[in-house]
Amino acid sequence: MTAPAASPPSRATATLVVSVQDLRVHFNVKAGVVHAVDGVSFDVRDGETLGLVGETGCGKTVTARSFLRLVRTPPGIYAGGRIDFWSRDARRTGAGPVDLLSIPDREMLDIRGDRIAMIFQDPGKALNPAMSIGDQVAEVFFQHRSEDLIGDHRQRVPRMVRRASRQVTTGPERIVLRLPPWRSQAASLRRRVDELVAGALAETQIANPRKIMDRYPHELSGGMKQRVMIAQALACNPDLLIADEPTTALDVTIQARILELIADLQQRHGTSVLYISHDLSLVRRMCDRVAVMYAGRIVETGDTDTVFSRPLHPYTRGLMAAVPSASQKRGELVAIEGNVPELVDPPPSCHFHTRCGSAVALCGQVDPELLEFDDSHRVACLAYASAGELGVPDTALPLVERTPR
Amino acid sequence: MQIREYILRRLMILPLIVVGTSIIVFTLSRVGGNPIAIYLEHEMTPAEVAEIEERYGLNDPLPVQYLAWAGGVLTGDMGWSAVSAQPVTEALLDRVGATLELATFAAIVAITMGVGLGTFGGARRDRLPDHLTRVFSISGASMPIFWFAILLLILFWVNLGWVSIGRSDPIIFATIAHPTGLYTIDALLAGSPSAFLDALRYMALPAITLGFGATAIIARMMRSSLVEELNEDYVDAARAKGLPERLVLRRHARRNALIPTVTVIGLGFGFLLQGTVVVEIIFRWPGLGRWMADAVLRGDQATIMAYVLFTSILFLAVNLIVDVMYAYLDRRVVLGA
Amino acid sequence: MVELSAPSRLPLPTHGPLAVRARRFAEVARQVLRNPTTVAGLVIIVALLAMAFLAPLLTTPNAPDPYQMPRDWTMRDVPPGTPGHPLGTTSTGGDVFYGVLWGARTSLQLSVIVVSITVTVGIIVGSLAGFIGGKLDEILMRLVDVFLAIPELIFALAIAAVLGPSFSNIIFALAVVFWVKYARIIRGQIIHIKQNDYVDAARVTGDSRFSIYRKDVLPNSITPVMVQATMDMGGIVLTAATLSFIGLAEAGLAEWGVLVSDGQAGISAGRWWASTFPGLMVFLWALAFNLVGDGLRDVLDPRTEGR
Repeated sequence: MTAPAASPPSRATATLVVSVQDLRVHFNVKAGVVHAVDGVSFDVRDGETLGLVGETGCGKTVTARSFLRLVRTPPGIYAGGRIDFWSRDARRTGAGPVDLLSIPDREMLDIRGDRIAMIFQDPGKALNPAMSIGDQVAEVFFQHRSEDLIGDHRQRVPRMVRRASRQVTTGPERIVLRLPPWRSQAASLRRRVDELVAGALAETQIANPRKIMDRYPHELSGGMKQRVMIAQALACNPDLLIADEPTTALDVTIQARILELIADLQQRHGTSVLYISHDLSLVRRMCDRVAVMYAGRIVETGDTDTVFSRPLHPYTRGLMAAVPSASQKRGELVAIEGNVPELVDPPPSCHFHTRCGSAVALCGQVDPELLEFDDSHRVACLAYASAGELGVPDTALPLVERTPR
Repeated sequence: MQIREYILRRLMILPLIVVGTSIIVFTLSRVGGNPIAIYLEHEMTPAEVAEIEERYGLNDPLPVQYLAWAGGVLTGDMGWSAVSAQPVTEALLDRVGATLELATFAAIVAITMGVGLGTFGGARRDRLPDHLTRVFSISGASMPIFWFAILLLILFWVNLGWVSIGRSDPIIFATIAHPTGLYTIDALLAGSPSAFLDALRYMALPAITLGFGATAIIARMMRSSLVEELNEDYVDAARAKGLPERLVLRRHARRNALIPTVTVIGLGFGFLLQGTVVVEIIFRWPGLGRWMADAVLRGDQATIMAYVLFTSILFLAVNLIVDVMYAYLDRRVVLGA
Repeated sequence: MVELSAPSRLPLPTHGPLAVRARRFAEVARQVLRNPTTVAGLVIIVALLAMAFLAPLLTTPNAPDPYQMPRDWTMRDVPPGTPGHPLGTTSTGGDVFYGVLWGARTSLQLSVIVVSITVTVGIIVGSLAGFIGGKLDEILMRLVDVFLAIPELIFALAIAAVLGPSFSNIIFALAVVFWVKYARIIRGQIIHIKQNDYVDAARVTGDSRFSIYRKDVLPNSITPVMVQATMDMGGIVLTAATLSFIGLAEAGLAEWGVLVSDGQAGISAGRWWASTFPGLMVFLWALAFNLVGDGLRDVLDPRTEGR
């Protein structure tokens, strides 16, 4: 009568781009150590769109930022785990992954903006208000495509110009670059970059990219700014795009266009996308697979349709039920009781157990592992665990309805 | 369009403020002070005193006296400067070069060191360099210029003998022409390296002393605005593009942090102006500050009024320029919302 | 928000508006004391106050006027460490230690007098401007602008200069220059409150304008006024010392600025102590009040967070 227990995850057969394994990110605050990300594992496969979903404060943004090591390390610490990344080249040549958390800074700088790119929630804040659009997007090309910029110069390119293409000029050099013999080379460098920038902007369906390049962020609408961000992110054709709530700050009417744009570009370039969001309807529309996060941990992962229609974890079920739908009777709003727990030095336990209707004593004593329920649908709840493996009697496990609603 | 209105409005208020200031000082001098004292020599008979009073219009009602003075200012006649035995206007023009030169160098020192220190501390928030910067800033704001100057003199002049007092070595000074009244510029124009170095050697210590207070407040403002900028999303976005940290600092954070720092420049200039009086006394610098100091000691009202007028116009003008610059920069920086 | 749950150990009343004020005060004090630089400033202030109060005990007051430096032609230009003159003597034989202590006394009196005058005048003018508004407000604010248009030192210098060299003229000059900031603070508070709904609410319940003033404006203004006054305690002494240095006080006064000025002549001959110690005192005084003022502002003014 007991349902089949979940088993430890098997090696996925699809090609992986990223594999997050037991990621832990802690923050030192006055009250103690906050376990913002407390053992997170999920994979992103080649060409797929994975949604990382959860309420505000569950640690999804910190997780995303860890990919590029953007977490501020005075209060923050990368306390454990790995983020394995296979670039396109690595997958082609069969080379192994690199661990984004431990590669040297120089390598990380090469990856940022080039192999993995990120777009931020509020494009108004994520663009430098005092720099023109053209200058900002150009930075990416200068940083990662400098060889292309001086590539077709048959004659010897002076070292100074070469350095200019990589943005490493010193003050005096910049003055010299204004003088005639170097000036024209620097100018043609600039022209080439501008072409690339215009191209990148045009890809995001910005009409009149040349005009936009001379503008400043505050002169553009929210939707435009987000297109610029996307253009900037996809400029070097990255293998992975991390989109941190890309439409939250935008008007509803613009949201759809931006989402379409991202999906379209993703198709064309074969980029994998990691979507961070708290908006379930958006995730349902845009993502192939979804990972549900709560209080620093992944509680469920799987195909979007499966997770949405047959959620396993009590939290996921609560989320699905809480979304008002047309089929509900009027006046019925279902909310999950309780509050997100403080994550300061948490003891081993399920982070959701204080709010879970099905919790039993064991839930407050053991960390539930993310186990495979069936093919690629994973859940971290003791209700699906194997009593034998945990060394407890069957009756100690919580009971959860097999078919919700 | 708004900028133009803003400038016009400020320009219109400026003369009112200057007039207001001069009225206050003028009134106090006639009412509370003894304006005639400086013109009296040894023992004069009452008749002679009365005659002097008549000559300088000191018997007229106060508003008339003021208008007489104001009228004189507008025609370029600000009276006679007893402490320098020449017409006030002439005395002012003779000395303005020295003070302007000193103030400019002090400002250069203050801005470069202030921005540099503020960046240094702000980029390493809450670590040792930051704490040192903050200690420096607070000390700078509390530092009595006269004491600081004397300490520096004791060290560099008495003990080390690296610097001298005054503006120049008279012999070297006499070797070049002085068309602008600014020793450094004149030396460059005359193509004389020895004069140029001479000028710098005498100016170094006074300029550093003078700039110290301004350095402190600029450093403080720069530090806090840099810390604020480093918290902004666009800095993280720049890092996410793969830009090395020094580029992120220099091109993104620091450049934007400079903008609010500009607002402190007006305040810093006030510090500079105030300091010139003391610095010129201690370093025997032949500028407006020393002139004012002499006038203060001897009660030379004409000089005092001229100095106050000149200084307040200069201060207001600098503040206006700074505010306009900030409004212009800020317009571009104003975020959409 | 810090919890006000710790029981107070002082015999304070536990109920009523006074109790609330006392608790808030204790709370502020606690937060202020957490900042080490502020505590350092407070320690220095205590030391300075001690010097000022104990001056007549630690040194023999000069007759007939203890605020004049004593003269002793037999002990001129004596270096520090000489028995009886721990900090040396000046070129007229005055004991530098005496000058330091009595200078502290002078500075204390000076700053207290000036701050009292300026705060009072500022509050009155600011209140008039804010309350009556209209033309009077315009005129008074233009006046304030005029006062703020000149750097403080130069303005005070000009005023003291035209009135004649005397310490009381310095006090007058400083008072004239320093009152404006308080006027602005109070007026700002009044305008802010006028624009707030709860004034209308209070009016509806029958409170007169004056009682609103007493119950809302004044208490809310206390904190910025306190911060400003603390900073001014430092700034006033600094400016006064500069003015006396330039020569606007009576000769021979036991005041730090005068002492530094008198000691200048001996510098080239290596007699550093007559200027260095009094100057150091000015610095410490200004530093201490600036530190405490800063610390107060960090605690009381939420807008300056993150400095």
